[in-house]
Amino acid sequence: MTRIKRGYIARKRRKKIRLFTSSFRGAHSRLTRTITQQKIKALVSAHRDRDRKKRDFRGLWISRINAVIRENPKVYCIYSNLIYNIYTRQLLLNRKIVAQIAILKENCLFMIANHIIKTKNPRRRYFGKV
Amino acid sequence: MATATVSTLSATFGTHCAISHNPKSQFSQPFNLNRFPSPSHSHSSNLTFSPRLPLSPLPKSTESALAQTQTQTLSPDPQSPNWEPGLFAVVMIGSRQYIVHPGRWIVVQRLKGANVNDKIALHKVLLVGTDTSCYIGQPIVTNAVVYATVEEQGLDPKVIVFKYKKKKHYRRTIGHRQPNTRLRINSIMGYENYPKVTMDDLNLDDTQSEDSQS
Repeated sequence: MTRIKRGYIARKRRKKIRLFTSSFRGAHSRLTRTITQQKIKALVSAHRDRDRKKRDFRGLWISRINAVIRENPKVYCIYSNLIYNIYTRQLLLNRKIVAQIAILKENCLFMIANHIIKTKNPRRRYFGKV
Repeated sequence: MATATVSTLSATFGTHCAISHNPKSQFSQPFNLNRFPSPSHSHSSNLTFSPRLPLSPLPKSTESALAQTQTQTLSPDPQSPNWEPGLFAVVMIGSRQYIVHPGRWIVVQRLKGANVNDKIALHKVLLVGTDTSCYIGQPIVTNAVVYATVEEQGLDPKVIVFKYKKKKHYRRTIGHRQPNTRLRINSIMGYENYPKVTMDDLNLDDTQSEDSQS
């Protein structure tokens, strides 16, 4: 076999990985072996958290809607009541939109809540105070 | 509220400023402040789209939308009509919902068959609101249409899909760029005849006793 020096093949490969890890803290951006490990962990976390992100945001929206709805003195309502009324009154707004409206245009949300809770719903199965 | 202040800014500055500076800032949608290119005169066919893309509830990053400082002065295009202050609509595109303001752009899932500078009419309008009133769609606001123009059919930034099983010598690397479409919202129309709810109803109910409700 002819003799082959490895030259800078390994260095070229590691340079790309080092670029990826360039903003990490401490040894995770300096030492070669830890760099490869940290890149793997980072990509795995990103992959897993892309799905997590969807769940996290939904929880955040729910918390926000609940907070805004409970606190206002104009409409007496809580999150579960609001969602129940949204479904029975056939509104298609999802939690993301309702949360955004709750933060940016509270009056609009109170108008919606007021409308769907206080006006009589032909579809309601029971009558009485909510 | 932030949007209310923006709309009042536009009302006062409209008569004064003629030039609107548009920094091409590419931060995230949907509350982007890029507004008003030269009106597109290419009258391609009116395409009506019903959302037919698969369910992918990818949330828009609400954090960046909230952190955005809306301090730019906005001057309405002299050729476009004056909208009611704080006009917005909630529209469903590609089974995702977006809050839409006339004159701003949003990025949605790729709409197949839409070429650049096509006019699009979006019929799934779930809510139309202004500063003082809102039209609540059950489930949609009938006859309300949101007109938009396709600005660009591009790709999202690349995402590396990395599959890895530890201690089993298995790793796969795939790069993925999701196709998207950028729409410039032209107008929101057709909602005037729908029953609307105003702040007066809210305050009126306050003064009445709670026992009088159903």
